[in-house]
Amino acid sequence: MKCTLDMAKLTRRNLLRAWGIIGSTGVIVSLGLGGFMQVAAQQAQLGMPKPDEKVEDTINRLFGNRSIAPADGKVKLEAPLIAENGAVVPVTVEADLPMTPQNYVKSIYIIADNNRRPLNAKFSLTPEVGQATISTNIRLAQTTDVRAVVEMNDGALYMVKQAVKVTVGGCGG
Amino acid sequence: MAEVGADIGRVRIRLPATISQGEVIRIRALVTHPMEILSFDKDQKPLPKNYQFVYQIVVTYNGKEILQAETTQAVSQNPFVAFPLKVTEPGKLVITFTDTHGKTYEGSAEIAF
Repeated sequence: MKCTLDMAKLTRRNLLRAWGIIGSTGVIVSLGLGGFMQVAAQQAQLGMPKPDEKVEDTINRLFGNRSIAPADGKVKLEAPLIAENGAVVPVTVEADLPMTPQNYVKSIYIIADNNRRPLNAKFSLTPEVGQATISTNIRLAQTTDVRAVVEMNDGALYMVKQAVKVTVGGCGG
Repeated sequence: MAEVGADIGRVRIRLPATISQGEVIRIRALVTHPMEILSFDKDQKPLPKNYQFVYQIVVTYNGKEILQAETTQAVSQNPFVAFPLKVTEPGKLVITFTDTHGKTYEGSAEIAF
């Protein structure tokens, strides 16, 4: 029964998507059953568990061999020293760096070393935001270092790190 | 832990009480969403299935994309995000959360002086 419902949803979603394509291009596209299946398969992949990753591998995957400079006060990471509940740990990353169209903070990465998959979130900014400060709530599985990596539009990287002691793990993804 | 159920997908946006032109304001947004966590089998292997969690947040101001986020299951239930915006003109802020089951949850706010 549940399966039937899910199939119905998938079909409806794909239909909506197909309408979107038709609407935006003005071309009538005939999507065969194969097309539907393909879209459905891609969407089904999005929430599939990805393999465990060590933090070195995460950093290597995100930044390759690029050198990461210590933030030296340019980037501040606010996180609790002790998190009683690992399921909700508030973090704020504040970068005291320019936000002009020529020179701006392009991305902010929040990484928890000891999580199964260390990358918690990536934020992509534009100069329009005027200032590079992001807050969010993250899950920490256990006591860990939390890192914030800030990437400038010219590729420069800055990192700041803080240890967070977790009393009850948050079963992060 | 906060209950999520019928309320799922509700987007709340909070703006400062007073906004003046040219100011960098701080916007807080939240969507009610379970951010489903992994289940493991008896060998501690993650069960392969399409877990439901928000993986993308897009913020536009007057139609222009100003901020985007890629989120994972390591973001808390009821994902919260706060970000700045330099308001040079009045306009409409739209925040869209998309989850791995293809559902989108949208919230908007009018910014005026």
